[in-house]
Amino acid sequence: MSDSTRREFLGIAGASLLAGYAGFAGARPRSQTPPGRSSVTIVKAASYSEDLVSRILEGARACGLDVRGKRVLLKPNLVEFDPSTCINTEVSVVAAAYEVFKTLGAAEVVIGEGPGHRRDTLAIAEMARYRAEIAKFDSLFVDLNRDDVSSVQGFADRGEIYLPNTALRADLIVSLAKMKTHHWAGATLSMKNYFGLVPGCVYGWPKNELHQVGIDRSIVELSRIFRRSFAIVDGIVGMEGNGPIQGKPKQAGVLVMGSDLPAVDATCCRIMGIDPEKIEYLRMASDRLGVTAEARIEQRGESIKAVRTNFDLIAPFREFRLA
Amino acid sequence: MGGFYRDARVDVLRRAQNSDGGWGYFPGKQSWLEPTAWAALALHGTPESDRAWSLLKTWQLGDGSWRPGADVQISNWGTALCVTLACVRRDYGDPFHKGVNWLLGISGNESAMWRRALASTGLFPYDRNPAYKGWPWKPNTASWVEPTAHALVALKKASAHFGGDELQQRIRLGHAQLRDVRCADGGWNYGSHAALGIDLPSYPETTALALLGLQGETDLDKSLATARHMMESNPSPLALAWLRIALSLHGESVPELFGNPSSDVMITSIEVLSCENYKLLRTGGRL
Repeated sequence: MSDSTRREFLGIAGASLLAGYAGFAGARPRSQTPPGRSSVTIVKAASYSEDLVSRILEGARACGLDVRGKRVLLKPNLVEFDPSTCINTEVSVVAAAYEVFKTLGAAEVVIGEGPGHRRDTLAIAEMARYRAEIAKFDSLFVDLNRDDVSSVQGFADRGEIYLPNTALRADLIVSLAKMKTHHWAGATLSMKNYFGLVPGCVYGWPKNELHQVGIDRSIVELSRIFRRSFAIVDGIVGMEGNGPIQGKPKQAGVLVMGSDLPAVDATCCRIMGIDPEKIEYLRMASDRLGVTAEARIEQRGESIKAVRTNFDLIAPFREFRLA
Repeated sequence: MGGFYRDARVDVLRRAQNSDGGWGYFPGKQSWLEPTAWAALALHGTPESDRAWSLLKTWQLGDGSWRPGADVQISNWGTALCVTLACVRRDYGDPFHKGVNWLLGISGNESAMWRRALASTGLFPYDRNPAYKGWPWKPNTASWVEPTAHALVALKKASAHFGGDELQQRIRLGHAQLRDVRCADGGWNYGSHAALGIDLPSYPETTALALLGLQGETDLDKSLATARHMMESNPSPLALAWLRIALSLHGESVPELFGNPSSDVMITSIEVLSCENYKLLRTGGRL
């Protein structure tokens, strides 16, 4: 990569840090949400056969999303495939999101993921039916584990982290996460989904470096670097119990959307019956990267009360149950 | 074996080589160590392979390790691939010796002395035995099946040209770790056989790689049967190539392959290796 291109990337990374709590102006309708508050939209969708394009469009518009002329990276949660459960963001949600962002005028929409365990990413995409059900998937898809990378200064106590150029170049990253419990972090939602932005070709399969830094700290650091984000959490059917791989399907019937990722994840936790104040990475991110207090989140669409459904929690997390 | 299958892939590799002598993971992308090392092995004995080795030698760091790419200044598991490549090329010079020494000096941090001491108290449940030693993807992280398998191949190939008991000891401990983390069905997950006490599934590619690393071991019948079953269940192209290599190295017959190559340089290289050059990864008989 040329020096000028590298400087451009570092500039982007630096700018994203300076943006701080204000987030990405293009993605957050600050004029519509009072200062110090964030909006999160909950949209009901009982099944994957519903008109998800309309649902996501409804949510994106409620959040005031403007992506005209932007380069958008859709980042699904595509991890492993097990036909007996629901590990990954459902393909119909990814396909609908692609359609929505094209409709909203994005200049470019690509799909990228770097699974943490399996080396053959396209094979997982095949098993999860991404290749069959998303037109021209192979030409839209970037394996973020094996993309070219650039160094970004500062990651927890590490001097730098290498990140994929496709993610660093994007004007907006859409975290297309799955609503799941997580056996280390408590819950995996839009912020944890960014582990898939870390390149395996530098850090391996799994990306054990992130566990050495600390899972919670790494989640927060990645969300800090990639501030220009929008979240769409697939909670139509989530995962409860021993997530994120070996849990059981749990129907919640919702899509949760917003530009403030901690606010989106805190809302998801409340829907799942988990106290977000008990989730360490949300505590760390609160008031630093976004808001998590219920009183400071302007709920649009459905209320939490109307869609709450308690997810089963494994023993170490049972005390996280929301009263 | 597989004339068209192999030749079409060799052609793809030749056309995808970058001007610096390396290969990216995909054509037109920056050169990386991993696809470059695999392509160099796949094309062993050709000028393209020679150019690749010339490039890789410039990526060795002062501590003897290799970095994963020109612009990434991190010691990396790919050191094992470079040591293997040096052995295949019979280049037992300074880069080889430094590389072997680096591999001998590194292990997964789960086997650190304090962790072994903690484990010996029996107070904390462990999903794997920290007395054994494998290799990590990068320093100061835990060991995993894939880098351990590649390090074992490298050290076993290096053993005839590198004296000392330490190398043999690391091979024994590496074998022990791979056996320790074997899943209930005889295959291997990418890491341990269990997490939080719950069994984990085995995967075809890591099962094949563990069998590659365990060449010379006996009592692998169940694992080989699992690998055969995995091959019959239509695994991914990468898994299929690794399973063909592993089963061939364990003396099993494997089916012919058909189909056009993909644009994935790493998979294409390993597919070529699975046709004939898998013998370059042979490490010999019993320990």
